[in-house]
Amino acid sequence: MGKFGKEFAKGLVLSNPVFVLALGLCPTLAISTSIDNALGMTLAVLIVLIGSNVIISLIRRFVPNITRIPIFIVIIATLVTVVNLIFHAKFPDLYESLGIFLPLIVVNCIILGRAEAFASKNPILNSIADALGITVGFMLALLIISFLRQILGTGNLAVFGTHLFDLPVLKEHPIVIFILPPGAFLLIGLIMALFKRTGVIKE
Amino acid sequence: MPAKDFLKKAFPVIILTAVVAISVTALTYTDRMTRGEIEAQKEAQTESMLSEMFPEMGRYELSDDIYTIYQDEDEIGYAFIAIGKGYGGNIDILVGLENDTTLKGITIISHNETPGLGTRITEPSFTNMFAGLNINDVALRKDGGQIDAITSSTISSVAVIDAVRATAVEKVKLIKASEEGG
Repeated sequence: MGKFGKEFAKGLVLSNPVFVLALGLCPTLAISTSIDNALGMTLAVLIVLIGSNVIISLIRRFVPNITRIPIFIVIIATLVTVVNLIFHAKFPDLYESLGIFLPLIVVNCIILGRAEAFASKNPILNSIADALGITVGFMLALLIISFLRQILGTGNLAVFGTHLFDLPVLKEHPIVIFILPPGAFLLIGLIMALFKRTGVIKE
Repeated sequence: MPAKDFLKKAFPVIILTAVVAISVTALTYTDRMTRGEIEAQKEAQTESMLSEMFPEMGRYELSDDIYTIYQDEDEIGYAFIAIGKGYGGNIDILVGLENDTTLKGITIISHNETPGLGTRITEPSFTNMFAGLNINDVALRKDGGQIDAITSSTISSVAVIDAVRATAVEKVKLIKASEEGG
């Protein structure tokens, strides 16, 4: 497997942003209530993370160590705002569905985390691979969590308005806590424990 | 301090300043490029929400935050925006009036309620209860009104109900005053 493939693959499981790096938990709690939200957030992260990794990898030789964090934050915030405005103007339908996720990304520490830990030390191609891998890893984590939260917390599963199935007892008596942020914490903890116990994640 | 040392110390500041300057330029430029289109987008959105609420609408006029809806030259209703204090922040609601006592309907424009619970205020099973109601009946059944709160989303439901009633009462006064005045 080439370097590109390696940098991509590590984001999926080995340094999965949610379950291993424990990054981006705040937006994860906020949006993993349904599969729709999970996919919307993934798309928003994909766009911004590739952009920020590329820019930061490009300028990495000019960034003084002492002011690197403020520089990364300014770049990421600018990028998010620019993407937000362009989407609002040019792709109103996409903006309608991504509208709440794009601003949330500013506080998504996955972006800053990858800028600091990877893009500021690696060439562009590898930084793109890293961005893609981390995004897919984030998507897998979000899909697992939001699938469980949606069926436990509402008793049914619907994706993009298409109703897939109802669960018999949960439909009448959903376990509401799973829709609320504390339920997400419980699930993330349980899934992490399960992954560590079964050796999917190595310590 | 020798000039060389000074430059060395100032270098990070200069770079940071340069990055901020580029960022400000990029933001200003994007804002200019997109502002017109975003405004047009919002206007189109308002118009589509109004015409969904008043299918016979020909045109509308906005004055003092009240939309007056016309079919040909006849006034067929009014609409305005009410802001409720929900569980997760403001809830913006478009409220339509058939005349000065009866609601045409409501549409939730934006909100930050709990997904899966409070978000049910946007569903027709809730918003349809408002259509055709007398303004004074916009209250929970237990308070003598005609509306049922959504189970386990009482705060969100009451926020919508209170905002719709209070704003409707206030706007009806304004509408009556302007009709008598003009």
